[in-house]
Amino acid sequence: MPETSEIRRQKDSQSNPQGEEIRIGVYTCHCGGNISDVVRCEKVAKVLSEMPNVVVSRTHMAMCSDAGQAMVEEDIRERGVNRVVIGACAPSLHEQTFRRTVARAGLNPYLYYHVCLREQDSWVSGGDCEGATEKAIRLMAAGIAKARHLKALDPIRLDAKQRALVIGGGVAGLRSAWDIARRGIQVTLIEKSPFLGGRMAQLETTFPAGETARELLHDLIERVLAHPNVTVHTRAELVGVRGYVGDFHVQIRRQSRGVSDDFAQAQAEAAIAACPVEVPDEFNYGLTTRKAIYRAYPGCTPATPAIDWENCTLCGKCLQVNGQGIDLENKPETFEINVGAVVVATGFRPYEPRQGEYGYGEFPEVVTLPQLIRLLALAGESEGLEWNGHPVRNIAMIHCVGSRQIEGIHEPQPDGQVNDYCSRVCCTATLHLANELRGRFPNVNVFDVYQDIRTYGRGHEDYYTQASANMVRFLRFHAEEPPEVVPAPDGDSCPVLVKIKDYLTWGEEIEVPVDLVVLAVGIMPRPIDDLIKMLKISPGTDRFLLEVHPKLRPVETAVPGIVLAGTAQGPMNIQESCAAASAAAAKVAVLLGQGLVELEPFVARVDPERCRGSGQCVEVCCYEDAISLQTFSVNGREVQRAVVTPANCTGCGACVSACPNRAIDVQGWTLEQYEAMVDAIAADLPASEVGV
Amino acid sequence: MAEKPKILILATLSGGYAGANSVGQLRKDYPTNTYILPVLCPCLFPEDFYLRAFERGIDGILVMYSGTDSPYKGGPERAAEIINRVYPMMKERGIDTRRLRLVAICTVCTGPFLKEVNEMNDLLQELGPVRRERSSTATPQPQTVQSRE
Ligand SMILES: Cc1cc2nc3c(=O)[nH]c(=O)nc-3n(C[C@H](O)[C@H](O)[C@H](O)COP(=O)(O)OP(=O)(O)OC[C@H]3O[C@@H](n4cnc5c(N)ncnc54)[C@H](O)[C@@H]3O)c2cc1C
Ligand code: SF4
Repeated sequence: MPETSEIRRQKDSQSNPQGEEIRIGVYTCHCGGNISDVVRCEKVAKVLSEMPNVVVSRTHMAMCSDAGQAMVEEDIRERGVNRVVIGACAPSLHEQTFRRTVARAGLNPYLYYHVCLREQDSWVSGGDCEGATEKAIRLMAAGIAKARHLKALDPIRLDAKQRALVIGGGVAGLRSAWDIARRGIQVTLIEKSPFLGGRMAQLETTFPAGETARELLHDLIERVLAHPNVTVHTRAELVGVRGYVGDFHVQIRRQSRGVSDDFAQAQAEAAIAACPVEVPDEFNYGLTTRKAIYRAYPGCTPATPAIDWENCTLCGKCLQVNGQGIDLENKPETFEINVGAVVVATGFRPYEPRQGEYGYGEFPEVVTLPQLIRLLALAGESEGLEWNGHPVRNIAMIHCVGSRQIEGIHEPQPDGQVNDYCSRVCCTATLHLANELRGRFPNVNVFDVYQDIRTYGRGHEDYYTQASANMVRFLRFHAEEPPEVVPAPDGDSCPVLVKIKDYLTWGEEIEVPVDLVVLAVGIMPRPIDDLIKMLKISPGTDRFLLEVHPKLRPVETAVPGIVLAGTAQGPMNIQESCAAASAAAAKVAVLLGQGLVELEPFVARVDPERCRGSGQCVEVCCYEDAISLQTFSVNGREVQRAVVTPANCTGCGACVSACPNRAIDVQGWTLEQYEAMVDAIAADLPASEVGV
Repeated sequence: MAEKPKILILATLSGGYAGANSVGQLRKDYPTNTYILPVLCPCLFPEDFYLRAFERGIDGILVMYSGTDSPYKGGPERAAEIINRVYPMMKERGIDTRRLRLVAICTVCTGPFLKEVNEMNDLLQELGPVRRERSSTATPQPQTVQSRE
């Protein structure tokens, strides 16, 4: 049982030497006029120079330049500056730059504070030079106040396991696994379904270059499977997680495949044929059926069929073909592996239209875009297109189904939210298919019913140009007046009518008789609530997984060591999914590559001398194992004291406000620092400073 | 120089602070008597932090958190609970409760950012300095306010 004094000593060894004189260097950047055109920087510097503890106060045209940084380094080395405050652009741009500057001169990088004088002052203060200058003085004064309370901090360093877990075997997960493996890190990839490839396997030719999806995919799958650093488990799911970045213990549950890998091809075909069960085939979005012993599609990986435990009746017909190699008992196994990082690549599901939405589920002639892709694949080389036993001559394709929904107009999803985002891939995918239809079946008329055409990527606009040239007819509706799909009157040549108020003809009401209506459904994240809870990651209001910062920390979640790849994060095409997957892999490689992980030290820290063991901090903390009460002996008496596990603490500060004894703080963001900053902002400026 | 009301903005790095930077990128003007401090999550601040700020002469506080987009689990809910507990304490001290507002601001919420700042500024022009409000009421309870010092 540790003694509190021992902890106290540890604490002291990390804080500043007692009695050290605080010598602050303050720098106000002109930012080449961006700041100084509005803020009177020289005036600011002069006022600051008179504040307690400030030993130098300077300005510079560009603090981030070599000369600007050299000035700071020299002041640290030559003038004993031991706290640095720089007022410049947003900290997201140069805070890290200046931390490195300070560290180069031998000062702890956390003895630096960055004040934003550009985005939050000069750029938003118009011509109010006086107001902007006063604001700059107060903001800088607040920075100086914080600097007086800054303590040297060390990043948290932890050993990192040289293995990553990738969740999801779609193109994003595969791409991540491949990139991570090539950097010499072990990878375990788990895929929930029995087959690899995800949604991309369900595509045929793809935009923008027209390549065949499965060819690209198989090439990737083969490379992944052949790599010695990769282990793949299909039918595997995450069921538990403990630990933190560098050292996660993940529990994986794997269901039996039911068929052994050495089961011969010919026998597999016969066993599949023998199975009497027929269920809708999810690979073809229910257009066809499959058996309870099945392959996703011809040529899928793994090639060994799998038993669908939900639908298998255990009748044993497949065993009669050749019992060896088939085991009709599902024996799920759970095992644990130790990984340093996790890539979440759980992908998307197409939006499922509501019953009756544009006639979906009411009229057999209404299908979705993913179904059309499968329909065209199943049509093979046939000369004409048929649906529901009838030849198809007229097709309407409706955009934005389940995307760009508007509250009050569209019915919300079960969680009460409308899908207000653009699904991004459907416009180009629709035009790509419209072109394919016109190319393969020149007698088929295609009507493209859209709100806006968003062919945003390189080469995507060509699909629109080509569709126009291909005589695809465009009709445009407004979101408030969506088209209607109604049965055609008896005797009409087509079964359904699409009624559109067309804004390309200034609001003319148009009725298009068609044989098939294709709904360009949007992209929604797969339901992964369990996974979200286990990993403690957050979805946004759109339900897609959230990154820390879309620009500065894309693909990183707020949980250190957990990164995102592909459409789990938002609508993306294959190119974007792969780019995100490679970014995720790079993050993993950077994180684990050095064998150690370094975390920002902004975590809670308990002052054991103030702590009374009330446990309120433990109650409010939402993170597992981040803070706990432990028993210590103080003067021979056993007491409870809160102890933080830095690697599990996110630094949110819930415990800080909960502590009745003010015994806990988030390092680098302490209440004392905030109070000092508030005081500096509230303080009256001395008479000499008024009238800036 | 006439004393302008002082607006303290506690803005999360993942929300309001980034939103303020987006406003800057667009060069949209708002009053200069606005002082933004970055925070990880406002659930860090106990009730008396706010009371203390008013006591020191901060006239209005906008807490711009990340709402449901917050990367911190439970943080936004907790911040809201704390702020809800601050309101009756403000009332007790004769401080107009409209001086404290919790608003969700995202990284690109430039419109809502400007609206909140301008509305708070207008309100404070109307209410006048917090010092006047506080001095016009009976003895506040400095004990609670200062118990953390
Ligand atoms: C109609 C349509 C047409 C398209 N056409 C094109 C095109 O032509 N060109 C183009 O570039 N893009 C196109 N796209 C987009 C493309 O399909 C996606 O970008 C791509 O498939 C996304 O891959 P992913 O790996 O992110 O997700 P997915 O393919 O969904 O893969 C996710 C994988 O994770 C697995 N999984 C899910 N949850 C778990 C779990 N809890 N545990 C383990 N595994 C799990 C799933 O089983 C799946 O295998 C189209 C999309 C649609 C809807
Ligand atoms: S990509 Fe096109 S069809 Fe899809 S939601 Fe966006 S605008 Fe609508």
